[in-house]
Amino acid sequence: MKKLLSRILFWLGFAIIPIFLATAMSGKTSITREWGLAASIIIFGAVGLMYLSFELDASSPREIAVIAVLGAVGAAGRFAFAALPNIQPTTFIAIASGYVFGPTAGFMTGSTAALVSNFFLGQGPWTPWQMFAWGLAGSSAGIVKRLFPHIGRWGMAAFCFLWGYFFGWILNLWSWTTFVKPLNWQSFVAVCAASFWFDTFHAIGNAAFYLLFGTGFMKILNRFKLKMTVTYIGADD
Amino acid sequence: MLDRFFYREKGLFLQSLHPLSALTYIAVLLVLALVFNHPLYLLGLLAVTVTAIKALDGIDAWKTFLRVSLGAAFVIVIVNAITVRAGETIIWHGPYIPVFGRLNVSLEAVCYGADMGLRLLDIMSIFCLYNFMIHPDRILDLLSRFSFKSALVLSLAARMFPTMVSRLDSIKEVQAARGVDFNAGTLKEKMGKYVVLMKILLLTSMEDSMETAEAMYARAFGSGKRSHYVRDAWRPRDSVCLTASLLAMGVAMYGWTKGLGTFSFYPRLAYLIDGLTGIVLLFAVIFLLSFPLILSWGWHNCPFIKSKI
Amino acid sequence: MPLYQIKNLTYFYPNSRKPALKDIDMIIEEGEFLLIAGGSGSGKSSLARVLAGLIPGFYGGRIGGSVFFRGKDIKQLDKRSIAREVGIVFQDPEKQLIMTSVEAEIAFGLENLGLPRQEMARRIAEVMSFLGLAELKREFTVKLSGGQKQKLALAAVLAMQPSVLILDEPTSQLDPVAAEDFLNLVKRLNEDIGMTVILIEQRLERCFHIADRIVLMEGGRIRFEGTPEQVARWAAQCGEPFIPPVARFFGKAGLNTIPVTVKEGRRMLREKFKPSSGDFYLKHPGVVHEEEPLLRMERVWFAYPDGREALQDINLQFFAGELVAVLGANGAGKSTLLKTMAGLLKPGRGRVMLMGGEPGSSVSRKAWNSCVGYLSQNPSDYLFQDTVEEELLYTLKNFGISPNGVVDEIMDKLSLQDFRHANPRDLSCGERQKVALASVMVTRPKLLLLDEPTRGLDYRQKAEMGKVLLDYCRQGASVVLTTHDVEFAAEYASRVIMMFCGRIVCDGPTHQVLSESIFYSTQIGRMCRGFADGILTPEEALAVLKPASPGKRERK
Repeated sequence: MKKLLSRILFWLGFAIIPIFLATAMSGKTSITREWGLAASIIIFGAVGLMYLSFELDASSPREIAVIAVLGAVGAAGRFAFAALPNIQPTTFIAIASGYVFGPTAGFMTGSTAALVSNFFLGQGPWTPWQMFAWGLAGSSAGIVKRLFPHIGRWGMAAFCFLWGYFFGWILNLWSWTTFVKPLNWQSFVAVCAASFWFDTFHAIGNAAFYLLFGTGFMKILNRFKLKMTVTYIGADD
Repeated sequence: MLDRFFYREKGLFLQSLHPLSALTYIAVLLVLALVFNHPLYLLGLLAVTVTAIKALDGIDAWKTFLRVSLGAAFVIVIVNAITVRAGETIIWHGPYIPVFGRLNVSLEAVCYGADMGLRLLDIMSIFCLYNFMIHPDRILDLLSRFSFKSALVLSLAARMFPTMVSRLDSIKEVQAARGVDFNAGTLKEKMGKYVVLMKILLLTSMEDSMETAEAMYARAFGSGKRSHYVRDAWRPRDSVCLTASLLAMGVAMYGWTKGLGTFSFYPRLAYLIDGLTGIVLLFAVIFLLSFPLILSWGWHNCPFIKSKI
Repeated sequence: MPLYQIKNLTYFYPNSRKPALKDIDMIIEEGEFLLIAGGSGSGKSSLARVLAGLIPGFYGGRIGGSVFFRGKDIKQLDKRSIAREVGIVFQDPEKQLIMTSVEAEIAFGLENLGLPRQEMARRIAEVMSFLGLAELKREFTVKLSGGQKQKLALAAVLAMQPSVLILDEPTSQLDPVAAEDFLNLVKRLNEDIGMTVILIEQRLERCFHIADRIVLMEGGRIRFEGTPEQVARWAAQCGEPFIPPVARFFGKAGLNTIPVTVKEGRRMLREKFKPSSGDFYLKHPGVVHEEEPLLRMERVWFAYPDGREALQDINLQFFAGELVAVLGANGAGKSTLLKTMAGLLKPGRGRVMLMGGEPGSSVSRKAWNSCVGYLSQNPSDYLFQDTVEEELLYTLKNFGISPNGVVDEIMDKLSLQDFRHANPRDLSCGERQKVALASVMVTRPKLLLLDEPTRGLDYRQKAEMGKVLLDYCRQGASVVLTTHDVEFAAEYASRVIMMFCGRIVCDGPTHQVLSESIFYSTQIGRMCRGFADGILTPEEALAVLKPASPGKRERK
């Protein structure tokens, strides 16, 4: 029962943004209406639903510790590559952990990386959007693995590449709904055009991470996934 | 720098508020900044927020937020100017651009963009205030009442993060001592060298996570229903601040339904001050939102107030 | 009724064919202070985990035989009641803390037990005042020192009010002062509160005498058990290393009663041995080096970005053939000194010259690095390849050196041949340390710098490490290591440097430096102080000290 509820909440959280986006763009929005508040409520709601879903999902101390470690590695990754401009492994780490440990763990990894690194850098209005975007990157990787088990190296690389743009667009949603009027696809394109190069670098970086080091990373994660399953064998007195 | 939270404990009044009342205050500020678009209202909110930041000794850090906001505000003005067609006072007839059609920039759109830039600054300042006002620990504590496992994940990760950052440095040193030159090579080669750091960090921390899990297990984690330890005391000041915040919210919402606090930009700019009620409402809201600031002043300057709240 | 009764216990970890514990039979009484000692891989940690209910609850695997806790089969007890009754503190304070603030950390276990609020508040207050943590109540746990962290881990367990406290090598990651503090605390818990304490340790100098009973383990079995005196006598006869140096000396000297503390040892010395005037090992004139030093530091200063001056006016020379131990408290600047020597940190002022040249000028970075080998405190930071062999080849490749049999040679020297194709991450702590060392030594550096290489190693592994390093020195290299282990320094180093707050306070031949010091001296050194100065190890003491009169010498 709990498990089912957890699933439902998860998908609700997952679907909330596209529904919102469609409503916002449907053209029914009058020019005077404020969407900023709605967007904020929606994003907190989406993250909240995902957290609630995780809360209801059964999880062992091992799972909790592994998710926390992956989240912290993702957060630390934001600084590890500081010497190389525009290269950040956080999206890649979220995708890799979602791919190996499943959608829920993937979401928690990505969102934890965002929130925790901002504990130290300072929170901003972008925090919930980052949490959601990185979390979604992680959980969608888990879903992709279930839907297409044989996606292959290039498929995954393309997936990582696309997430460079998705991430940017999700973050743009915030500034678009809050500061731009009217909300239509043209204005959204204009906002995204402003971040185009930034997103492109992000996308290329993601794909490069996957192609160059994806297998190595997944191997490490899989090694620990095996260790996480405990085998009990009856006593033989 | 990365071994401590952005938040700094300074023992100030505003930092001593219960997380629930502090969070409500921040949330009310944020909601008002999102529903009002009247420039005067936005300015009023900004004044309250910046005064609060000043009471928290955070003006220097706020300047960074200010700089980021101005940059983003510029982008907002541009996007609004080129996409919005609703304004009547055209100040520039531009060329034809494929996706967007003819580029006609109106005065109204520019003003709207500037107003939104102000809102952005408001929101950024409110988050800046949040960063100085509420200890991450207390947020985690609050969160753990509703979603214990997520709070636990976050708390664990926050605890590991500084260790990992310094670990990365020592791994980098080890690699340098083993002959890796981080400055040489193409971008791809450099990336490879840094990825090795991540790989070692991942391996080590994953190993450590098993021991952490064991420690959690040994301390009865997951052994049944949990209880919750209360760390924060609820004081009269919290009741006052919470009531004031909620009242401010109520008054503002009432005014908002009456159309106050919203400013119409299109098709032409309306009057900035439109009747007395708008101004009265503005002052009422600002006064209510200033309550924590007044208490803060009293707490720091008046021993009598200090002992009573 | 005994607290624990273990019958015929055998245990296999998952996917393991070798038993970690085999045919264990033992009884643990209420209120006892039990010390479980043994080398790494002896099964002592596994035994602790069985007693704490972590095996098989957390680890899984195959368990045979039975363990009774207060007469009840431990398998019948649910998780919560075990956690309530048995508390365990682990080795590394870093990995067992969970929350961000001190108070929340202590509350964590209590919340898990589902205790009512009033009860939690009382227990937290009590344990914080008992351990002196009240002032740190809101502190970020990362900011605590190692000793404070371990104390917090203890507090978190004590708040759950267990009747048994299990400590799995709790001091192995702490510096000597913090370790002493911690053990005193544990002793108080046992004596004042009557808590049953089960302490797992491999460094016995500090805790041997405070135990009521000692169990020695080897290869998953119990090898010997008895009171400290019984164990000391037995171990002295068999030549076992697992006893403190004082006991080893008197055991080898053939006495019937074997003292285990310095105090008892001094009394025994006065009664049974002739005082020897003269400084035995101090007579050696200091070696005069005529050749050019391998590395010379001239007026070196180093400050971290936060302004902490970690090195202040360091003037040092290191020569080929020396094995130098750098001693000092945590934060004295030992690691910074090594990193500066390795060229990883650039001195703010002053010069570091390798064989007469400075990096960047005549000696290129790469050449510098291949002449200087550096082993950090965490051997795990070195291991990321799939096999041990690749780990060595990786370093060679980075320096562009062709293998040419050097891999085989190093592996032989460190007896790593069996693990050649093993994943280094599957190895034990001691073996990892060796792999990391091998991956540094493979370039045959002239100067080998080791940051706390003996941390977490047992007696045998330490001896092995010491021999390898001595051997390497004889081949004309210089080895500089930092350590908290004075016994190790006394045994192997030829020169000792003492640091305090970024300064060199003492530098000279081992025997001179260590016998002049009271706190940084070996157990034997402290015992023989004023009786026969200059003696540091049991072997030296045996060679020099003679019984007062031949007639008094007792039979073996």
